[in-house]
Amino acid sequence: MKNLDPDKIKVILATDCGSTTTKAILIQKVGDSYRQTHRGEAPTTVEEPFADVTMGVINAVTEVGELAGRRFVDDDGKLIHPATETEGCDIYISTSSAGGGLQMMVAGVIKEMTAASAKRAALGAGAIVMDTIASNDKRKPHDQIQRIRELRPDMILISGGVDGGNTTQVVQIAELIAPAKPRPRFGGKYRLPIIFAGNKDAAPLVEKTFDEDVELSIVENLRPVLEYENLSPARDAIHDVFLEHVMAHAPGYDKLMTWTDAPIMPTPGAVGNILQTIANTQGINAVGVDIGGATTDVFSVFDKTFNRTVSANLGMSYSISNVCAEATMPKILRWVHFDMDERELRNRVKNKMIRPTTIPQTREALIFEQAVAREALRLAYQQHKEFATTLKGVQQQRTVGDTFSQQVGGQTIVDNMKLDLLVASGGVLSHAPRMNQTAMLLIDAFEPEGFTTLAKDSIFMMPHLGVLAEVHPKAATEVFEKDCLIYLGTCVAAKGTGKEGRPCFSYEIKGSSLNERGEMMYGDLKLFPLAQGETAMVIIDPAKGFDFGNGPGKRIERQVKGGTVGLVLDARGRPLALPEDRATGQATMKRWVEAMNMYPGESRK
Amino acid sequence: MHNPIRWMGRWSVAPALVLLAALAIGGPCQPAWSQDPQPTAEPTTQEPTAEAPGEPAQASAPEEAAALPEEAGTEATADAASGRSESMQWVDEHIFDLDRGWLLLVVLIFCGSVVFWIAHARSGRPVKVRKIAGLEAVDEAVGRATEMGRSVLYIPGIQDINEIQTIASMTVLARVSRTAAEYDAKVEVPTSRSLVMTTARETVQAAYLSAGRPDAYNQDLIYYVTDEQFGYVAYLQGLMVREKPAACFYMGAFYAESLILAETGNSIGAIQVAGTAMPAQLPFFVAACDYTLIGEEFFAASAYLSGSPEELGSLKGQDMGKMIVGGLLILGVILTTLASATGSEVLQHFVDFLTQNVLT
Repeated sequence: MKNLDPDKIKVILATDCGSTTTKAILIQKVGDSYRQTHRGEAPTTVEEPFADVTMGVINAVTEVGELAGRRFVDDDGKLIHPATETEGCDIYISTSSAGGGLQMMVAGVIKEMTAASAKRAALGAGAIVMDTIASNDKRKPHDQIQRIRELRPDMILISGGVDGGNTTQVVQIAELIAPAKPRPRFGGKYRLPIIFAGNKDAAPLVEKTFDEDVELSIVENLRPVLEYENLSPARDAIHDVFLEHVMAHAPGYDKLMTWTDAPIMPTPGAVGNILQTIANTQGINAVGVDIGGATTDVFSVFDKTFNRTVSANLGMSYSISNVCAEATMPKILRWVHFDMDERELRNRVKNKMIRPTTIPQTREALIFEQAVAREALRLAYQQHKEFATTLKGVQQQRTVGDTFSQQVGGQTIVDNMKLDLLVASGGVLSHAPRMNQTAMLLIDAFEPEGFTTLAKDSIFMMPHLGVLAEVHPKAATEVFEKDCLIYLGTCVAAKGTGKEGRPCFSYEIKGSSLNERGEMMYGDLKLFPLAQGETAMVIIDPAKGFDFGNGPGKRIERQVKGGTVGLVLDARGRPLALPEDRATGQATMKRWVEAMNMYPGESRK
Repeated sequence: MHNPIRWMGRWSVAPALVLLAALAIGGPCQPAWSQDPQPTAEPTTQEPTAEAPGEPAQASAPEEAAALPEEAGTEATADAASGRSESMQWVDEHIFDLDRGWLLLVVLIFCGSVVFWIAHARSGRPVKVRKIAGLEAVDEAVGRATEMGRSVLYIPGIQDINEIQTIASMTVLARVSRTAAEYDAKVEVPTSRSLVMTTARETVQAAYLSAGRPDAYNQDLIYYVTDEQFGYVAYLQGLMVREKPAACFYMGAFYAESLILAETGNSIGAIQVAGTAMPAQLPFFVAACDYTLIGEEFFAASAYLSGSPEELGSLKGQDMGKMIVGGLLILGVILTTLASATGSEVLQHFVDFLTQNVLT
């Protein structure tokens, strides 16, 4: 990157080259702070007949320029920078997920240990992990070789063994990959990049195993000891290889790379980057979700530990059938407050799958789609919880007091009670007709406990800000706070279970525009208006057995943020359980839908 | 094709129950056709005669035969007085000891719960067994050894194979060995008894075979050290300090050596999993090891690891039996306390009935 004085940067142009659309945003210094001012988009042109990603970029940037009254592209079709008073930009940055993003295969000795670390490194760098090869994956060597041959990854990450530990099985993994000669996706002359991040003693042996057909890079071990995970060197290597090898072979990216002031990042990697930046600067725990047509990405930062998962078969169009199969129709229909014909719904699902760009045309279709979204999000979050765990294979320290409370390693680090911020993005959440629906979807699917702020990414700006955070963290943080996030409000939810109609907690709300007190019965849901920018003090006195973060039955007092939806008091208990009986379930759901004012003007009984 | 074990299991439960009931109620009472010369009358009720001092209390068969009608006549009078029918008397005298009917009831409840839970498990309904961290950690411990390129040390206690804890230890050894075979890790089993060594070799070999890695089995890694308690422990300590195994399993009967072993294992940074039914050694293991199987957990390992409905059902049934015993104990304590505190005759009669009839 060019050495620019951060204080002199006034105009920032950012693009995200997606599979179908290239989105451009303009960030300008307005007064003393950075604001996102304009946005534009154009179809991505990475595929034939254009086969040049920069054409889509130029189109999107031109639209932004027209809206902003500023010229960004010169007569030769190149970006103008540095900026002058009327044209150009000081910084241009970009992310990319075009052509399916970064697709990787990872390998390690033990699936739950070094292979899991390799997977975390790859996912954290923004890749899609196609498969994980491990010595205990229950596959025979010939099956593993067959699988490696079938896949066409952009690169392979090999790990295994602690430093000074296992070398035999690490070399065995290399010996599986070398003869399989996996072919890369792009370019016939392209040598497949392989990153080795395993036992340093095994590195020379691994080097000997591969011939000139592959581009081997050796980096620091990602598990130098089992007690510690060192993912940064592997992630950096993935980014470098992504730029040098993968991007360089994708149509038009060689030109795009010369335009950008910071390395092009894979889109999910950039989203993770901004979430980490925000969580670390504000000292909070955050979860982000991006639900797409084919996949659902979940990002989390708990106690400064970042995790990302991609649920490859959970999405709202291409993968909607899989969501229905995995969740089952009764589970989906429990979120619907009236009778629906299951046969008709199945047709609706298949139609959505073969016509992925259609959107619901009727209220019923919208309600059903949002019911499917709840299940897709719930399943994706469940998978995330299973993946985001403490390290396995670590020695435990015990006392006699642990006699009856021993727990195995690999417990999830995702704790909904500690969750401070839940950010939503993706069509079904971002483009819901009412924000109340987005809030309700998030609460039902993620089941936040205690006090949780809910927000949504206004125009899917997080990828742009993720790269910007690398270049200009201040601008990224300011835009994230002011323009990227639309605060929906705060959810205050009780953890614990009880009997319907019994007292759950009493509350007192003190704010400039909202002053309320009352009691919530188990199963109740209440929404109070609390506008964006407003705050209120909420005092909760939980009934015995219900917890809001201070322990069961203990009083808690917290300041909450308002938003477009407001303040939600949730006494439905956690884990959230809906009545099994369909009629009772519908009545309960109807009550909640009305409490949240999800579908106003609904005349249906 | 039928699985013979499963087939046998399906039909053997009912006869087994009947046999158990018969044993419970039959006890020392012999049928009339028995040629056993043991007397039917209880020895404790017979006073040694002055005519035969020093003679064994056991009477010869003809003497017994001669004595029987007389005794039977006496009992018949007593039974008639208590309203017993002749057929009942005959059953009592020749087949079952009906005074032990309560024992039959207890046996039926215990065996019935086992049979019920086995049937319940076989029907495909889930039998919930809580997670036992020590057994769940086997994969983790062997995985650690694999990643570190070090061995797994398995110590099956210091008792011989006739000790039930050593037998239970073999079940866990099978699981550890199977995992080690799958992960291609090395398992070393030094034993303090030669018969344990032989059993362990068989167990490990079978585990490697079932994992599809018979070639990886090395019998030299399972060896006998010494019968001497501290000689054995000294050897193990030396081995641990020299080889630094990444995972240590202590499963079986342990005495004073428990803390010596666990502390040494802790100092070399190994993941340690212990399991014993020796109450005195449990605190040491809990404090020094990563995971500890406590008493019954250790014996439940077989059912837990196999996951077979028969074993899980049996485990659940036994637990139900234990719960009943526990409940009765509490009830008995409360009743006895109340009886002595209040002086209530009704309660005292009830307690007497329980102690003199049900529990004898």
